[in-house]
Amino acid sequence: MAKKLWLILALVLTLSMVLTSCGGGQPVSPAGGQPAGSAGAITLNGAGATFPLPVYTEWIQMYKAVQPDVTLNYQGIGSGGGQKAILDGTVDFAGSDSLLKDDQYAQMPDLQMLPMLAGAVVPIYNVPGVDDLVLDGPTLVDIFMAKITNWNDPAIAALNPDAQLPDAPIVVAHRSDGSGTTEIFTSYLGAVSQEWTDNVGVGKAVEWPADANGQGVGGKGNPGVAQAVQSTPNSIGYVELAYAKSNGITFADMINAAGNRVTANAETMQDAMAAFADAFSDRLTAKIVNAPGEKSWPIMGYTYMIIHMQENQDCAKTKALLDYIQWAISDPAAAQKAADLGYATLPDAVRDLVMAKLQEVQCNGQKVLP
Amino acid sequence: MNAETNIFAGLDMARLDKRRRRINRIMLSLTAVATLFAVIPLFWITIYVIIKGGSYLNLDLFIHLPQAMGTEGGGVLHAIEGSAVMVLFASIFAIPPALLAAFYLLHHPNTPLANFLRFSTDLLSGIPSIVVGLFGYAVIVIVQKHYSALAGSVVLAIIMLPVILRSAEEMLKLVPQELREGALALGSPEWKSALTVVLPAAAEGVVTGIMLGIARAAGETAPLIFTALGNDNYEIFQYIRQTIQYRQGVGEAFKLILEQPTDALPLTLWKYAQQPYPERVQQAWAVALVLMLFVLSLNIAARLWLAKRRRQRYG
Repeated sequence: MAKKLWLILALVLTLSMVLTSCGGGQPVSPAGGQPAGSAGAITLNGAGATFPLPVYTEWIQMYKAVQPDVTLNYQGIGSGGGQKAILDGTVDFAGSDSLLKDDQYAQMPDLQMLPMLAGAVVPIYNVPGVDDLVLDGPTLVDIFMAKITNWNDPAIAALNPDAQLPDAPIVVAHRSDGSGTTEIFTSYLGAVSQEWTDNVGVGKAVEWPADANGQGVGGKGNPGVAQAVQSTPNSIGYVELAYAKSNGITFADMINAAGNRVTANAETMQDAMAAFADAFSDRLTAKIVNAPGEKSWPIMGYTYMIIHMQENQDCAKTKALLDYIQWAISDPAAAQKAADLGYATLPDAVRDLVMAKLQEVQCNGQKVLP
Repeated sequence: MNAETNIFAGLDMARLDKRRRRINRIMLSLTAVATLFAVIPLFWITIYVIIKGGSYLNLDLFIHLPQAMGTEGGGVLHAIEGSAVMVLFASIFAIPPALLAAFYLLHHPNTPLANFLRFSTDLLSGIPSIVVGLFGYAVIVIVQKHYSALAGSVVLAIIMLPVILRSAEEMLKLVPQELREGALALGSPEWKSALTVVLPAAAEGVVTGIMLGIARAAGETAPLIFTALGNDNYEIFQYIRQTIQYRQGVGEAFKLILEQPTDALPLTLWKYAQQPYPERVQQAWAVALVLMLFVLSLNIAARLWLAKRRRQRYG
């Protein structure tokens, strides 16, 4: 019996080996017959924000064809987790939607945030009989402030003269977990309204005024908020555009800072990013909410990669990472993939800033890129 | 005679009897309902996972690495292999010390060290697994400067250890002292009697304890977030082929298998379930089913083996 068991085990093992070799992952074939483990095969590990995770995994898949001997691994553990991981030195790079704090820079001065992509946040709604809705900043603020509490409020009606707005109380859905999405959304509300900044504030999690009125409902993650809105008539919420797109959820248009009606798409996102192309600080970070451009989508934020400017160990690894970042922000196919997924790629001016910063990266005191 | 008739005088015996039966029926049905409530969650979960996961279960899941998000197809081979590797090494780390400690407790049940050992294993089993994960992060991951299957195995071993130790101790205690003493009287050394007499006699219980420990470790997510991190490219057969192809030593293969970020089934389930893409959520259900079947089949296999053994030994 014991022998039989071993036989079966051996059979299963060989079978799975055969199966994986013909069907599964392509075997790594280090270029030029270089032995794996030497400069030939490089593994780069990263972790952090979940917001760019879909496009990062796509890029990593695509990059296997570009550089077969470089393997990237990116795990979505949250922006905070990513920041901690790179500070602890346990990853080669990190992803983050939120900015490093001053004390984190003090701890590790060579950390550099690089904008990689931008994403939009969109208001989603569920109002029976209404399939076309437009809102402006002050109205959105008042709704989330619980000052406008009924769909037939004159402020909403004035913006949507053709809509059959019901006489029904507004239910406000929001994230129950700390989230970069909430940070972008509240940044926008704060940029529009001083009152919002003073009374509610901007951040990954805030005290929602609608909750105090019993008209608020929380959901975990984008799916939680979308679920809450879809199952609650006369509700409004906010999710990432990429999420709304991939799940076919209708979202509202906005009146932007220039007074034009805009819908969230690649063009309006690009416009907002271009409008803020000069707004970058020395640390290559910028807020891009409530952009002044004619066609700008107003509720947006960058997502960043965090790398070291001074590496002291394996320079081949550093080079591989920089090559990958250069490819990711400049390859047309990579950009197309990001756009398909609902992200906005960097405008030329911003990309030039990142490229210039990459040139400054040093390994053992030497420049890494030619 | 008089006394007895006096006690029951004036009581309607038939009515009393009826009342007693009625109460009996009511209480019996109440316990039946309570039993049902205890069993319902198990069947509910099992059936729900089978229905939700079953329709997304396919061969691809077992033989492919993940595709990029939002695309059809791809599998969770990385997680299956990662779980297997980490649970295997966790067992290697946890079982020998757990059994040795159990033997110590058996032979010296009332020494201060034994009491301390019991007390601390109880404490250890009460520590939330996420705290064990943080410990692994601080002691292994930060020191080594990278996430690894090794770190994951160590934290899983810490979680398994008290489960195996305490159940092994209980089971060894059930073996009659006379058996061991008989072996010793026949001239067998202590270690030999332990290995060939006491342990086989308690094998059923000890193996069940080990299975419980493995099932517990196989289902852990939280400690692995901090130690194994996750890795979509983890594929041990590829690592083995690679080392053979380039004629590298066994050490290099072990390094690739143990010293890299690694995925696991519960970790993948947790990550996939919160993805915006329906394909990922479907795969999460399938992963839930695979994980459940793995733990279930481990349990059933152990039970079958034990039943067979028992038949062989006792006819």
